[in-house]
Amino acid sequence: MAGIFVFSEDGALAKQLLTPALELKQQLSQPVTAVTSSEADAKELAAFGADKVLVLQAASGWTEGLSEAIYGLVSGGGASIFLVGGTLRGKHVAAYLAAKLNVGMSTDAKSVKIEGGKLLSTRLLYAGLALCDEELALPAVVTMPPRTFLPPSPAAKAGTVETVKAESDGRIAISDVTAHGGTGVDIAGVTKLVAVGRGFRKQEDLKLAEDLAGALQAEIACSRPVAEDEHWLPIERYVGISGHIVKPELYLAVGISGQVQHMVGARESKVIVAVNNDEHAPIFEGADYGIVGDLYEVLPLLTAAVGKNGGR
Amino acid sequence: MPKCLVCYKWTLDEKDIKIKPGDLSLDTSRAKGKISDFDRNAIEEATLIQEQHGGAVHALTYGTSAVKQSLKDVLSRGPETVYWIVDNSAETADACVTANVLAAAIRKLGPYDLIICGEGSSDLFNQQTAARLGALLGLPCVTYVEKLSVDGDTVKATRKLADCTEVATVKGPVVVSVLGTINKPRIPSLKQVLGAAKKPNKEIKIADLGLNAEALQSKAVHKSVKGFVAKRKNIVYKEPNAAANVGKLTSSLAAEGVR
Amino acid sequence: MNFQLTEEQQLIEQSAHDFAKEYLDPITGQLDHTVEFPMAVVKELANHDFLGLHLPIEVGGAGAGFVSYVAVIEGLSRSCAAVASIMNNQAMASYAIQHWGSEVQKKQYVQALVKGETIGAFAIYEHGPTPGIGPDALVATKSDGGYALKGTKAYVRNAGVAAVYVVFAVTDPADPKSLTAFVVDAGVKGLRVGEALTTMGLKGCPVADVIFDNVTVPDTAVLGAVKSGGDVAARVLALASVAEAAQTVGIGQAAVEHAAVYAKQRVQFGKPVATLQPVQTLLAEAATDCYLARLGLRSTAQLVEDGKPFETEAAMVKSFLARLGSKILIDTCQVEGGMGYSETMPLPRLFRDIAGTTLLDAPADFPDYAIAASIA
Repeated sequence: MAGIFVFSEDGALAKQLLTPALELKQQLSQPVTAVTSSEADAKELAAFGADKVLVLQAASGWTEGLSEAIYGLVSGGGASIFLVGGTLRGKHVAAYLAAKLNVGMSTDAKSVKIEGGKLLSTRLLYAGLALCDEELALPAVVTMPPRTFLPPSPAAKAGTVETVKAESDGRIAISDVTAHGGTGVDIAGVTKLVAVGRGFRKQEDLKLAEDLAGALQAEIACSRPVAEDEHWLPIERYVGISGHIVKPELYLAVGISGQVQHMVGARESKVIVAVNNDEHAPIFEGADYGIVGDLYEVLPLLTAAVGKNGGR
Repeated sequence: MPKCLVCYKWTLDEKDIKIKPGDLSLDTSRAKGKISDFDRNAIEEATLIQEQHGGAVHALTYGTSAVKQSLKDVLSRGPETVYWIVDNSAETADACVTANVLAAAIRKLGPYDLIICGEGSSDLFNQQTAARLGALLGLPCVTYVEKLSVDGDTVKATRKLADCTEVATVKGPVVVSVLGTINKPRIPSLKQVLGAAKKPNKEIKIADLGLNAEALQSKAVHKSVKGFVAKRKNIVYKEPNAAANVGKLTSSLAAEGVR
Repeated sequence: MNFQLTEEQQLIEQSAHDFAKEYLDPITGQLDHTVEFPMAVVKELANHDFLGLHLPIEVGGAGAGFVSYVAVIEGLSRSCAAVASIMNNQAMASYAIQHWGSEVQKKQYVQALVKGETIGAFAIYEHGPTPGIGPDALVATKSDGGYALKGTKAYVRNAGVAAVYVVFAVTDPADPKSLTAFVVDAGVKGLRVGEALTTMGLKGCPVADVIFDNVTVPDTAVLGAVKSGGDVAARVLALASVAEAAQTVGIGQAAVEHAAVYAKQRVQFGKPVATLQPVQTLLAEAATDCYLARLGLRSTAQLVEDGKPFETEAAMVKSFLARLGSKILIDTCQVEGGMGYSETMPLPRLFRDIAGTTLLDAPADFPDYAIAASIA
């Protein structure tokens, strides 16, 4: 089976990946095949640009267990690029695939293009300290994080959908699937965030940030210690290299020192604002605007000012 | 009595790396080496399993000659022996080459009941090694594990994913990658530090692994590496009067069109 | 001649740094305020084999040499010199008992000291100028099957927390050479610990009088031979003085590093103050003093390891640091200026701590006497 392959167990992410896939299709003149285990996702993918969609029918829905089956679809040869949704599950599948195919893989690529017959991606190194251009000989596997792209427009003509029987990995039994607590908010999808850090002395004080977020119509996010150490907020709200990478219009960091591990998650925001009482805090170097001051004093004033101007 | 193998990488400490002004290239001259952060968790987890269930813990690494600095450090953390492969290919080895080399070594040393890796290395964070090893060795693989337990020949691993946790149960040999939250690596006691000097370390020559040139050829190559430097306006309001600062900020945000 | 630590010594030194970062840094500022004996940390020292660092492997120690010991004391002192004092005084007691103790004494105390189950103290000083001389001397009067101890020991570190004291008393008040060492249980009848001194620094390491009100101890409590206490005290104090010098160097090094970081960040007149010549001079001198003192310290420690005479060299290092230890802190405080004067910064505590390390075990002028005596 030839061409460009797209896979993600997350339907929305798979759809987003059709955008770079279609770009690569232009560059390589090769068809785009999407692989999924969901019939519903299949219809969407066919409607939004996949020339063909393969629906894997397996006994178990466990994504990682389908790795060998996915390999089976493409092992015939002719495949050039695999764009895999960069969820943790996706990265597992992608690495398995890359090993079986004996090809290179670029993890968490921010961009992909073809140059000189090779795939060129950009990604972070050294915990966000550096950016690197990575060149892979084709065939190649690439994983890309959610929200790197917007989904494409609907295709003029829908692709075909084909069902394929698949065997899942019988060696691993999955049980006790437990959703994380939390409100199900997706902070990576909102336009404004107020992020709280260790500058807040106690959990009750987060109300100051919540009031501000309310006035701004923003969501609350936080730095890693607030979620993982203090447990003041669920981990779904934490921004950082091992949490969420966010790109809102406005990122307002309050009482956050601005270490690299946190900033990697926030530095693609359009406008970054910092409030911190330490004028030497690294966050100010990473911010467009900042106020040096006591957050306990600044936040109520800011909330009032925003509310007054009908903050929208 | 599980026989565990931990694969680890000796990396440069990213905290010591500086960005050169001008061309933004990286200055690694002052960077000290360290056991990659999550590999430290992997070693600790293997040691905890051995303390509880008996058996053995071996360590395996592939790198440049710098890895020799890691041997005593690794041995002070629990493993009874460390195998090391030193080759220039390691300087630019991608995940494909790394997995090829490690898998070949494991075929030579094995079999092992449990092969443990960190979820990704602290320098490149490719997050591929464990799944690649599973594929190459034909072993089941469970990634992103935050809790591991062993019962006879059955391994139970709790995985932490973005939206949920799940338990994977596997009978027989398995490859596992662990998260940083799985345990807190101990600071070795002095006896462990001194005892490390008495434990054996063994070199495995890459030539003895039966790998051809293609297997040692990286398929993912770094073409350019540049430090990230924030390009922000850096406008800081620090009047003594907080209200004045707030006023200036709200004006600025209005001007940005972000409200 | 190799001035570098061996690989093993480097690993031990690195362990001390890792330990300090993990267990001492988080408590150091707080300890200075609460002044509560940090038992949890001492237990961790035991768990990591630091309390038995200098003792033979057969008794549960790590069998490391004296160079490693001073490297550890320096490393811990960079974070929390008070804990280093506790460790050092513990080591003085365990070393004394291991070296001169009877099989019974060793069995009773050494392992417990190594495991941190028992805290030990070394009670040598009195309120009089020289132990064993004058009306303040602790006297051990011979009785049937034992001795009765009467008097007061002063400036005893770890007092009150210690479960065992190595105590020095004269069996004949008219004869200073009759100084004898004893191992005494803290719970013995008649032993009382006075109120802890509020010290300038090294807070968290208790310092107090230990009062002996006709405390009866059996003959088996004698440590070593009767009247050989002078030798025991001289040896242990000589080693302790080298270890204290390591504390001084550690504190000084911490001050230099803190001031250097501060100077690079602090901008005045449009530039980091680290570019200003007066600041550079202060930092350079302080860093140089630490470097040279460390070399002298380690060289002296090597003499100890080699079993060679070291008292003159130890006195030289002590003398150097007595003169310069405080200077290092005065100068680094100067670098940090007004900000450094704030108690929320570490330098004020380091200032107070370093004074303790140059004051407490020998008066500053004594080393010069010893040095001069050895060369002239």
